[in-house]
Amino acid sequence: MNERVELDDLVDFMGKKYVPQHSHSVWYYFGGVSLFLFIIQVVTGILLLLYYKSGEDLSFESIQFIMSKVQFGWLIRSIHSWTANLFILSAMVHMFSVYFGKAYRKPREVTWLTGMLMFFLALAFGFSGYLLPWNELAFFATKVGTDIAGVVPFIGKPIMQLLRSGEDVTGATLSRFFGFHVAVFPGIFTVLLGIHLLLVQRQGMSEPLGAGDDVKSDQKRMPFFPNFMLRDLLLWLIVLNLIAILAVFFPWELGKKADAFAPAPAGIKPEWYFLFMFQTLKYIPGKLWIFDGEVFGIMLFGLAGLLWMLIPFWDRKSSRGEQTRFINYIGLFVIMYIMIFTIIGWLA
Amino acid sequence: MKKYILYTLSVVVIFAQQVFASGGDQCFTCHDGLGDKESSGYKHDIHFIKGISCAGCHGGNSNSEDMEKAMDKNGGYNGVPKGDDISKTCAGCHADSARMKSFGSSLPTNQWEMLQTSVHARLSTNGQEHIVQCITCHGVHGIVSVKDPASPVYPLNIVKTCTKCHSDAAFMRNYNPSLPVDQEAKYRTSVHGQLNAKGDPKPAACASCHGSHDIRSAKDAKSRIYPVNLPSTCSNCHSNAAYMKAYNIPTDQYAKFSRSVHGIDLLEKHDASAPACNSCHGNHGAAPPGVESVSKVCGTCHALNADLFSGSPHKKAFDDKKLPECETCHGNHEIAAATKALLGTSKDAVCSRCHDQQTNPKGYEVAGVMRALTDSLESQEDLATVLLGKAEQKGMEVSESRFKLRDVHQARLQSRTMVHAFDEAKFREVVDKGLKTSAGVVEEGQHAINEYYFRRWGLGISTIIITMVAVALYFTIKGIERKQRNALKSNIIKK
Repeated sequence: MNERVELDDLVDFMGKKYVPQHSHSVWYYFGGVSLFLFIIQVVTGILLLLYYKSGEDLSFESIQFIMSKVQFGWLIRSIHSWTANLFILSAMVHMFSVYFGKAYRKPREVTWLTGMLMFFLALAFGFSGYLLPWNELAFFATKVGTDIAGVVPFIGKPIMQLLRSGEDVTGATLSRFFGFHVAVFPGIFTVLLGIHLLLVQRQGMSEPLGAGDDVKSDQKRMPFFPNFMLRDLLLWLIVLNLIAILAVFFPWELGKKADAFAPAPAGIKPEWYFLFMFQTLKYIPGKLWIFDGEVFGIMLFGLAGLLWMLIPFWDRKSSRGEQTRFINYIGLFVIMYIMIFTIIGWLA
Repeated sequence: MKKYILYTLSVVVIFAQQVFASGGDQCFTCHDGLGDKESSGYKHDIHFIKGISCAGCHGGNSNSEDMEKAMDKNGGYNGVPKGDDISKTCAGCHADSARMKSFGSSLPTNQWEMLQTSVHARLSTNGQEHIVQCITCHGVHGIVSVKDPASPVYPLNIVKTCTKCHSDAAFMRNYNPSLPVDQEAKYRTSVHGQLNAKGDPKPAACASCHGSHDIRSAKDAKSRIYPVNLPSTCSNCHSNAAYMKAYNIPTDQYAKFSRSVHGIDLLEKHDASAPACNSCHGNHGAAPPGVESVSKVCGTCHALNADLFSGSPHKKAFDDKKLPECETCHGNHEIAAATKALLGTSKDAVCSRCHDQQTNPKGYEVAGVMRALTDSLESQEDLATVLLGKAEQKGMEVSESRFKLRDVHQARLQSRTMVHAFDEAKFREVVDKGLKTSAGVVEEGQHAINEYYFRRWGLGISTIIITMVAVALYFTIKGIERKQRNALKSNIIKK
């Protein structure tokens, strides 16, 4: 084998790559965990695609068929749903660890940007995939979600119509979301992931600010292969076990089939990762000075997201290698805000 | 002496009354002298008897002998009231309890208020006034107490009064073209109408059921004849033993109906589609259904059961014995929910009232078989329900089986209907279909439960395998790292 594909060169190359070891090294693993979860998403997604049929009269029934008739279909669907949520959670942890480690600083601005774009795509994956079973909760959550997009000034209405493929959430919306979910988003995601991984490989793992040459010593670093890769693999196995337990003990429910003419069920909520924004919009008064409250809230979240994404370009101190507590305080505030409003939204 | 004084005083009082009667109301004196219709009618009017002058309604000065002064508009004369002014004029006294008391009246004073809630208070075609004024029903210039047989609203006259409009198709078309105009004709065929025609004022006439001043549409939930309220309206008379004594009919219908499956739906669940008294007895043509027609009456709702019964061997047997068809097994006012207890050969089963092992072994045997089949289908359905419930509780997806379970339930309902054919083969066909489906559902439910345990075991085994691999990996990593540390140490020592 080695004779044919010259594996030694590859092992040798990987053996020369090192991962810094310090008190925050544990956060490095979340990038790998996110990648693992994404791979599971792709594999289970492809398997679901073998039986899933998109359409107002087909989607719900096909998922029902997958869950009750297809051998291990219930497991594949449950794993796909659970992994989708864990993927976003893991990507979120990864994003915050990069943020607090200031790993976005020069020269890793593009790595951060591609990561952020992938995170937004992950949310879009979640939003589009949520509708695909065409059940009651998904239908109304999509209606509410696209309604919110529609209130953005100037571009909101066309975006809403583009998402819905018309004025209302219908079978055409379902087909469109299906197309986005299985073709458009994965295509873009793969390109971004390729760039992201290539950059990580080229630039190596970021070291914490102020570590200096200390982490260059052999005691303070670990070979990427086999040490880090095997540790990664160990964590993946633990995560796999966790997913299996969740899928078996808490199978993802299918609910009732969507009915456009039925009243919206009480207490309709979006997925947990949108809950803090949804809850905030509920608290904003209808009119704020001359602005519509909802529009103001959406614009505020849009601006906050943009600033967050562009942090490598305005946090010049970190780029110069200087410590900045202000960035840490912003990060802590964002985490606290998301957690508190998610909990309130969950309990509401 | 005392006697003479009393006699003289009496003569003076009578004379004074005559003077007041003729001289006190100059309007009446003149018009009576002219001999017009209004004044001759007014002589018998309750208002005249109570001392109310013409000016009471028409205004003006009834004490003046000068016609111009008496009918001076500046003096309050308002001529003949028109439109709603008529009813408002009546309400001037009839809505004023103090005034009514001053005339010694104990009549209620809310007629005007109630009339406003009535269907008759809608605007008439000219858009200027209500459809009905007080005088439309009570008459004018000859108004007498409602208890007076001469009153147009006295029970024996009210039908004619109401039907003046309600039997006039051309008139009714203006207000409610969909309302039938044959109520009187139907009423005359009813028991109520026949007794009324014989001069008995006690049986129900129009106002007995519809009310008087506050008559509402039958579709109005507040109407006395709205389905949910109708049994109570009928029971006003029919549950009054003293009132009904002369007619020699039971007075427990309402009590029985309240306990019946129909009564519970109508009176407790307020299901307006459930049958009320009129659904079986008719309304204007109310009469109890006869032995011949009872199945037709029940069959208006229970059509399939009636059809099956008509084709069954029981039809002829019942006809021969002059037994009322549905009523014989189900009763009339107190119809209980038809459970399987009615079927079979037990003491409580209705079949056993006619069929016993000695005199009618064939019928007895069929009743037993039908009951056994029903029991079997019911227990299979129960088993399937329990299994699917257990599977669902375990988080299994069994919605398709749940859907099939509806077919089993449907078969049970069909079998309940098919009982009325009293044909074992037809009954068995329906039950067998249900039993076959339920057997499939039971199997699917059991499979779902087995699958649940299979998943648990599968998870347990795969978790053990993954954990073992993870532990092995952990020790491998530890081994590699130990080797690396040793190599590093030896390198340092060498250096």
